[in-house]
Amino acid sequence: MGCVGPLLGAFWLGTVAAAFAQSPSAPVPAPVTRQITDAAGRIVTIAATVNRVADPWHANNAMVLMLGGADKLVATTNQARDQPWLRRLYPRIEQVPAAFNAAGEVNIETLVGVHPDVILMAYGGTLPHWMDAVESYHIPVVMLPNESLEGLKTTVRMTGTVLGERESRVAAEYIRYLDENIRKVTQITSKLAQSERPKVLHTATPGILTIDGRRSVIDDWINVAGGVNAADVVGVGRPVTMEQVVVWNPDVIIVGTAPNQQNRQAIFDDPRWREIKAVRDGKVFANPSGAYLWDRHSAEAALQVLWAAKLLHPARFADLDVNRETKQFYARFFHHMLTDAELASIMNATAP
Amino acid sequence: MSKLRTVALLIVIPLALLYASLFVGRFLVSPLDVARILAAQIFPLNADWSKSAEIIVLQIRLPRALMAMCIGAGLSISGAAYQGMFRNPLVSTDILGVTAASGFGAAVALLLSRNAFELQLIAFAFGLAGVALTYRLARIYRTTPVLMLVLSGVVVAAFFSACLSGAKYVADPESKLPAITYWLLGSLNAASVKGLAMVLLPIVAGCVGLLLVRWKLNVLTMGDEEARSLGVETERLKGIIIVCTTLITAAAVSVSGMVGWVGLVIPHVGRMLVGPDHRLLLPATLSIGASYLLFIDDIARTASAGEIPLGILTALIGAPFFAYLLRKTRGTWH
Repeated sequence: MGCVGPLLGAFWLGTVAAAFAQSPSAPVPAPVTRQITDAAGRIVTIAATVNRVADPWHANNAMVLMLGGADKLVATTNQARDQPWLRRLYPRIEQVPAAFNAAGEVNIETLVGVHPDVILMAYGGTLPHWMDAVESYHIPVVMLPNESLEGLKTTVRMTGTVLGERESRVAAEYIRYLDENIRKVTQITSKLAQSERPKVLHTATPGILTIDGRRSVIDDWINVAGGVNAADVVGVGRPVTMEQVVVWNPDVIIVGTAPNQQNRQAIFDDPRWREIKAVRDGKVFANPSGAYLWDRHSAEAALQVLWAAKLLHPARFADLDVNRETKQFYARFFHHMLTDAELASIMNATAP
Repeated sequence: MSKLRTVALLIVIPLALLYASLFVGRFLVSPLDVARILAAQIFPLNADWSKSAEIIVLQIRLPRALMAMCIGAGLSISGAAYQGMFRNPLVSTDILGVTAASGFGAAVALLLSRNAFELQLIAFAFGLAGVALTYRLARIYRTTPVLMLVLSGVVVAAFFSACLSGAKYVADPESKLPAITYWLLGSLNAASVKGLAMVLLPIVAGCVGLLLVRWKLNVLTMGDEEARSLGVETERLKGIIIVCTTLITAAAVSVSGMVGWVGLVIPHVGRMLVGPDHRLLLPATLSIGASYLLFIDDIARTASAGEIPLGILTALIGAPFFAYLLRKTRGTWH
């Protein structure tokens, strides 16, 4: 063995030298770039080995961490750095330069200064206006889908593909896990009659009263969990009138904006909500929040479908232990053993 | 006769609109049920209507309608008073920076995830502070020349606008940023009995204050020096007007967000109807403004399942209407 290595090396060097000698314009044997088709339908050329990733999409930073590629993050956003549970799971995030602000605006100089191999960005139908500027520095931008559970899977798969082989394997494992959870839940919920599906209202900000409507990750997990979205508007964070909420008369209300618990209490305290069925029945709940907000585009969407199913149909999911599943999930995908106090902090959407 | 009819209309229309607003909406409540729900508050009546209908009428529509009337009336009378005081028909209620300052206050409250009540309080306080700053900047040797007031207002408004942009820049784009954006576009959706109680006091106090000095406003429109020679203490009068309009506007903005156009245009509509005499003009704008914003808000909350921002509608409906009046009267009412 001792002499085979150098021998092989010499042989390889010789071959390469010969190849170059024969024809100087011949392609380099190992490819240095590869091509990937992104959510916007663009064919993007990226480095074969990606070591430096800039991620202006808050939610996706936690995905990168889950896939095991967080050490490759060279630029992130302020909001990702401020996400309490992401900091707990991955303290280095605080040292990663925030080349992007909360609104997705870029500081080109910071970005160029950290020499990213690729930028991962959420695609909501439009390309970021800084796309051309960034690409003129030969930094490729890969757009990822973000408006459905299917889109979430694609995002995880593509993020894995961009990051490398090891991360791709974790991505495949995660997608299997997510599919398995969805299957476990829909096995039961798909048999529900329309009348057995509670009307669920998911509020973004109760004070201003914006709610999450159809064609969103939120709508998807409500359906999977055996509910229907009470709000027949399209898109997330849509403003609606108080009166319309009374007309919709949801059976269950899920509060999805920090501070979730206070916002939940505010609904109980407000006389205008008093006659709504969910409030009368005490069925107003605060959504859990972890490495990212469970209810949105997050790794924890896999847990969200379980949590919501148990919440909407406690009897049908009597033997589903969401707390145990949650502990297992964070241990398996984030390599963090949750203490009971930490588990409570995630379920109550408070900082660890 | 015609004047009497105008006065009668100015009293009847807002009241009729108020009643209509209680049975118009996405949730069906008949006009008769509305009357019985209202009557049941005073007389013992057998309540055979649904609990939801009662909440819709008493907790949601009534506070919201009263809020719209208060804010419409308040912004309009403030606009009329400022247009007189600054002797300029292009002046609006936000000239001293109150809107920008309140807007920033609201954005801060939203960033800090405060509840609706605290948001209102913080926005109100910022509005008052903004105008206090403007007034302090404009003060020279115990006088506040109009030009200094306008320029100081521009400075303060620019400063708070920049702060507001800064707040939006750091806001979370998934929840906080849309909340700030929608808030700034103006809405009465947050109207509640508690919120109404809080804005009622400053707005009513401000309106009463302006109504009390309305005859002196006529003198002020002749210019500071003329007014002084006629024995009016112009500095004190200006101070009173600024305090009153600021109380009104800060309270209005704190609950409804930025509802533009009302304070600018309704005074002109008032002048078309009753002429430029402030003794008549101020009460008239009170009624027209209340009716106008109530009508617009009824559209905002009923036209779709979602809430249409008020700031969009006040201009979208108000601008063509004003254009029509402008063409018809050829601007001859001044």
